[in-house]
Amino acid sequence: MGTVEHIGRGAGRISGDLGDLIPSPRPRARPPAPSKDPVRTAVRTFGEVLITLGIVVLLFVVYEVYWTDVISAGKQKDATTALDDKWQQEREEHFTGLGEGDGFAKMYIPAFGADYHFTIVEGTTAASLEIGPGHYTQTAYPGQSGNFAVAGHRVGKGAPFNDINLINSCDAIVVETADNWFVYRALPKEEEKAGWAEGRGSEAQCKGVSVLGGPYENVIGQQIVPPTDGSVIAPVPGSDVVPSAGEQAALMTLTTCHPRFSDKERLIVHAVLVKQWQKDPGKQGWTPPEMKETA
Amino acid sequence: MYGWIWNHLPGPFAVRLVLALALVAGAVSLLMFVVFPWAEPLLPFNNVTTEQ
Repeated sequence: MGTVEHIGRGAGRISGDLGDLIPSPRPRARPPAPSKDPVRTAVRTFGEVLITLGIVVLLFVVYEVYWTDVISAGKQKDATTALDDKWQQEREEHFTGLGEGDGFAKMYIPAFGADYHFTIVEGTTAASLEIGPGHYTQTAYPGQSGNFAVAGHRVGKGAPFNDINLINSCDAIVVETADNWFVYRALPKEEEKAGWAEGRGSEAQCKGVSVLGGPYENVIGQQIVPPTDGSVIAPVPGSDVVPSAGEQAALMTLTTCHPRFSDKERLIVHAVLVKQWQKDPGKQGWTPPEMKETA
Repeated sequence: MYGWIWNHLPGPFAVRLVLALALVAGAVSLLMFVVFPWAEPLLPFNNVTTEQ
């Protein structure tokens, strides 16, 4: 008897379902609410959390590679404006009283194109390096004997030193200060040292660039060092010998991270001062001929 | 999680959509302006100086 009733109810449901297939003025029943199965909810939430974390990581990449560039471009522009104002007011050169993050010089690498210019700020804290290349405070200043050492980001934050691995020997790094233009040129690379004077060293661009001797004999144009190697910014890079002021060469050193997107090592570029152009107040807008050495 | 948030937003579809986009924008700016700047120095990506 129960079976018969069961069949009867089932039959009724089947006919009702069929009835739903043809248009009917009756409102359709809402689909049943999703089950409140706790396992299902937990699995779905777990999946959603994973997707969210993936999006956060992607956002971090956007932040690191693009967004910090936008922020730093604004800060670099402000620093450049402040430096231009300062140079308008006082034209004598002094590097005293510089605060952390104050701009004091501009650098150009003509081989990277006419649009490559950065205002160098004092100090190498994270906040300073966000503005632009930062000067290691205890090292020499532009034009002075000793080692004018500058650190810069390679990825994000304006990435001023993104391509410094592409600096060839003899490429000019021009540094502009309140009343001077200083022309540094990258030193010979390790593999170029042998036969430098007869080879690349004889090219016109390389005038003034030689394989350095004495305590400087191990200083080369480009090297990769572990992060702990602070000696690359010493007056004699790679050595703790400190010659008397009169015997020191005037060098410039750039440091950045290596390889890109990693801080496992440091990429170092050494250059030597080859020329100084005094600015002529009567000739505003004059630039030294080295600025036209665009590749 | 997202379903729960959607179901708890008030108003009709259009209002919910605006509120949801506002929540996303808020979360993204919190990450961009607060969380990432804080976390970045702790990560091994971008140290450019040598130890002195």
